[in-house]
Amino acid sequence: MMKRFSTLVLYLFGFLLIWEWIRPLEQLTDTGNVWVFLLFLCIALAMDFLKWHWVIRFVINGAIIFFSLMYIYFLDQYGLIGSFPMMIQELFDNFLTMLQAQWTAITDMFRTLLFFILLWLMSYLIQYWLIQRRQIFIFFFMTLVYITVLDTFTPYNAEMAIIRTVICGFLMMGILAFYRQLEKEDIETKPSKLSKWMIPLSGLVLISSLIAFAAPKADPIWPDPVPYITSFNEDSRNEEAGGVRKIGYGEDDSLLGGSFVPDDTLVFVAKTEDPHYWKVETKDVYTGKGWELSEEDRGSQFFASGEEVPLESFSENENVVVEERVSNVQMNRARPQIVYPLGIKSFQSENIPFELNEALEKFSIRYAEDSLMPTYDVIFNEPTYSVNALNTVNNDNHGLDSAFYERYTQLPEDLPDRVRELAEEIVAGHDNWFNQIREIEGYFARSGFVYSQRDVAVPGPDEDYVDQFLFDTKLGYCDNFSTAMIVLARSAGIPTRWVKGFTEGERTNGNELTVGTYDITNNNAHSWVEAYFPGVGWIPFEPTTGFSNPVEYEFDLDEETTPNNAEETETPEREESPDEAETTEQTETASSTFSLTKLWDSVKEAVQQHWKKIILIIIVLAFIGYLTYIKRGKWLPYFYIWTYKHRNNDRDFEKAYLVLLHEFSRFGMKRKQGQTLHSFAKEVDRLLGHQQMSQLTASYEAYLYSGKQEKGIWKRNKELWENLIKATIA
Amino acid sequence: MNHKMNPVVEQVLINIDKVMIGKREVAELSLVALLSGGHVLLEDVPGVGKTMMVRALAKSLGANFRRIQFTPDLLPSDVTGVSIYNPKEMAFEFRPGPIMGQIILADEINRTSPKTQSALLEGMEEKSVTIDGVTHQLGSPFFVMATQNPIEYEGTYPLPEAQLDRFLLKMRMGYPEGTEEIELLSRVQSALPIEEIQPVMELEQLRDMQAKVKEVYVDHSIKSYIVHMAEQTRNHKHVYLGVSPRGSIALMKASQSYAFMHGRDYVRPDDVQYLASAVFSHRLILKSEAKFEGVKAEQVIEKIIDVTPVPVQKAVK
Repeated sequence: MMKRFSTLVLYLFGFLLIWEWIRPLEQLTDTGNVWVFLLFLCIALAMDFLKWHWVIRFVINGAIIFFSLMYIYFLDQYGLIGSFPMMIQELFDNFLTMLQAQWTAITDMFRTLLFFILLWLMSYLIQYWLIQRRQIFIFFFMTLVYITVLDTFTPYNAEMAIIRTVICGFLMMGILAFYRQLEKEDIETKPSKLSKWMIPLSGLVLISSLIAFAAPKADPIWPDPVPYITSFNEDSRNEEAGGVRKIGYGEDDSLLGGSFVPDDTLVFVAKTEDPHYWKVETKDVYTGKGWELSEEDRGSQFFASGEEVPLESFSENENVVVEERVSNVQMNRARPQIVYPLGIKSFQSENIPFELNEALEKFSIRYAEDSLMPTYDVIFNEPTYSVNALNTVNNDNHGLDSAFYERYTQLPEDLPDRVRELAEEIVAGHDNWFNQIREIEGYFARSGFVYSQRDVAVPGPDEDYVDQFLFDTKLGYCDNFSTAMIVLARSAGIPTRWVKGFTEGERTNGNELTVGTYDITNNNAHSWVEAYFPGVGWIPFEPTTGFSNPVEYEFDLDEETTPNNAEETETPEREESPDEAETTEQTETASSTFSLTKLWDSVKEAVQQHWKKIILIIIVLAFIGYLTYIKRGKWLPYFYIWTYKHRNNDRDFEKAYLVLLHEFSRFGMKRKQGQTLHSFAKEVDRLLGHQQMSQLTASYEAYLYSGKQEKGIWKRNKELWENLIKATIA
Repeated sequence: MNHKMNPVVEQVLINIDKVMIGKREVAELSLVALLSGGHVLLEDVPGVGKTMMVRALAKSLGANFRRIQFTPDLLPSDVTGVSIYNPKEMAFEFRPGPIMGQIILADEINRTSPKTQSALLEGMEEKSVTIDGVTHQLGSPFFVMATQNPIEYEGTYPLPEAQLDRFLLKMRMGYPEGTEEIELLSRVQSALPIEEIQPVMELEQLRDMQAKVKEVYVDHSIKSYIVHMAEQTRNHKHVYLGVSPRGSIALMKASQSYAFMHGRDYVRPDDVQYLASAVFSHRLILKSEAKFEGVKAEQVIEKIIDVTPVPVQKAVK
């Protein structure tokens, strides 16, 4: 009984230790629903503790994983029945993605699955360490390293975590040491003994932890966390992400920064007359680290195909001349988000109900279970803005509703003053918003800001994302440029908002045709700026160096104020990487059926695409293998010693002896097949100058030929064997 | 784990060494045959000490020693014994022949007629002789050491190959080496060392040892090793007729007693290899072309030993 109880305590501590690994995920990554993982871990460990049959455990664990995934990703969207096919589909898609080695394209759901499996393994390992090995030091130590590294290099504050871990870990080690002693000496456990051990142990651990906690400590030498630690991949933040609550477009922009890698997965194909940017959603609140939404979800509005979209982009008056256009979008994969151009009027599609999230200005569609890839036409007004009207607006006469104005000029309270000062400096000499914002838009190109997707910094906890970009790094990608422009514009009092979407993409058909076909890939994911002008509406601006968003203005003024996009350097479109969520969303396979030929095709394709790499890898591996083989004399004996060290079965004597013969043969002392072991042993001993091989061989011969099973014969001869096998180390 | 020679055996060997300098190997082989109840065929020229060795062996054991000198006119009854009418008692009285001894030296066996030869060989095989309808059990132990002279063919009756099978071992004695021969001369100068030999074991003890030899363990892997060798002789390109199963049995028994002599209760492949040539070589009939090429049976056996894999793993039964 007492033993059961202390095992339970051990399991509890084991659970707490793993919990320490999961805790930071919530803060550092966009992992949500952490409680699901904890529950899973809890149940897995409990079943281990109760020693249920492994089949039952397997089934229950599998079921929990399955329903958790369903709960997190599918249940609200597709309902209980509809979730199954979607899940299966997504699993297959991910397997294909994995086969194509597009690791970044694996979806959140699949990552969550992998994370569950990892936890499952952890629960087994904990059980193995605690119950079989009776050792936890390595795991305890790794936990400490993990926590301290996180504390040092990330915003995670591990002060309490360290204390919890230390107490847990030392108590565990104490209990385990006690059990090791008991088992070694073969003593029965009595409750009195346990308490004799446990009370001083817990006392000691608690007191020393208290002293350590209360003791004065020197300040850290480095600032905490260490700044400018750049990650290789912006996705790395998401690597362990599991619990993002909605499938699809990653709406979490609350922590910007970090580098990422390109991804040329096709998102959709557009047919349009004039190339234009594609919007997905907009955001309004800048937090100092990223973008959030100012208001709660206002819910959705539904409207049918052909119905006018309840969204007004610009005023319908003489200040904006509109021309109706139609573009066609062919999505490459079933994704609920809809891309649309500025000035959207209506969607034309085959009976798909559309939905508008007003807060985000984000459209989405719901699929019937067997729906095909959506194709839809967007009917929109292409605006030409009257610069004349624009030029009249300034801080004093904008006449905007104060709630609206405040919403789009919001800035974080702790925005450093130097940002505001810079904004004033840039706009000085211009008396209207339009000229001011044009100044800000061009500021980055003028001031030598560099576009890069790599080595992009993540702001520290006390740093402002924009401030860091403007004054320290001056290097970044669209998120840096667009956010910085908005902050500067808002500092100057101009209402602006942040827009996410895609650039116009790459034209795939000939230029002579009026209607161009454009491939939009994840590399075209982009963010830019829209500013609001009363009496005109939202106007897009493109601060990112190397990008341009053609906007038509009516040239009804003198040239000094004429904005001209042609002024901007029309550098060829750079490859732009996706927002992190895009990456996770896409897979190349658009098919909703899974077949072996498909699988084979994709494998073939992957091989065709990467055959050079594959051959190179094979050559490198072969070379490494060859070297390892050539140098096996250096490591193989150690490997064997290590392998047989913990084997005490007498049958292993035979294996070990044969291994020894093999090693001698590699070493150059080969036994001829007609040579007896006895005479071979003498030969070896003559060469090595001792008697050990003969001794070992005599034992082995007795084992082999005498027909008697002498117990412990291997254990007695192990040392001899080790000495001999060491003699073969080249 | 080093195995010491059986002390009694060691004493016998020391005794023999007193009269036969440097012939320990021959002495050991003789003992192997004696302990496993087999007989020995010595192929050698006269005067190298065959008689001395057998007498030393007999004396060490305290067994009675008989010698039969085979000549062309020797009759079977001269070997087995004869019933003579005793007029006093008015009955036939059996006069036992030299075969009724325990350790017998059958000298120059190839010089007598096949009829006489077979009388001896039958006795060796059956351990009994039948004279005038009465079966007489032979002595126990019963150990025959036959010699044949390899150089003299004139007026000899070489033993047929089938008969050779009756001998457990065939061996050669050979001349002593130079220094050994000098030592031999010094020893016999003053007195005959054979006279000084004292028995070191009882006959009862010998019988006991013979029983123990049978208990020496032969692992399955060793048995298959022996059989493997025998099979190889049957398929060898130089061999006309290979080793019979009797030969395999002989090798196993000889190995058992060799192992016993060396203080072991199980047989090692080394024992088998050591004895293979002595046990097998006289049982092979080589093809005539091989004989012309000068191939010797011993060489064939050596080759076979080289190519037969020694068992180094537990046999999977």
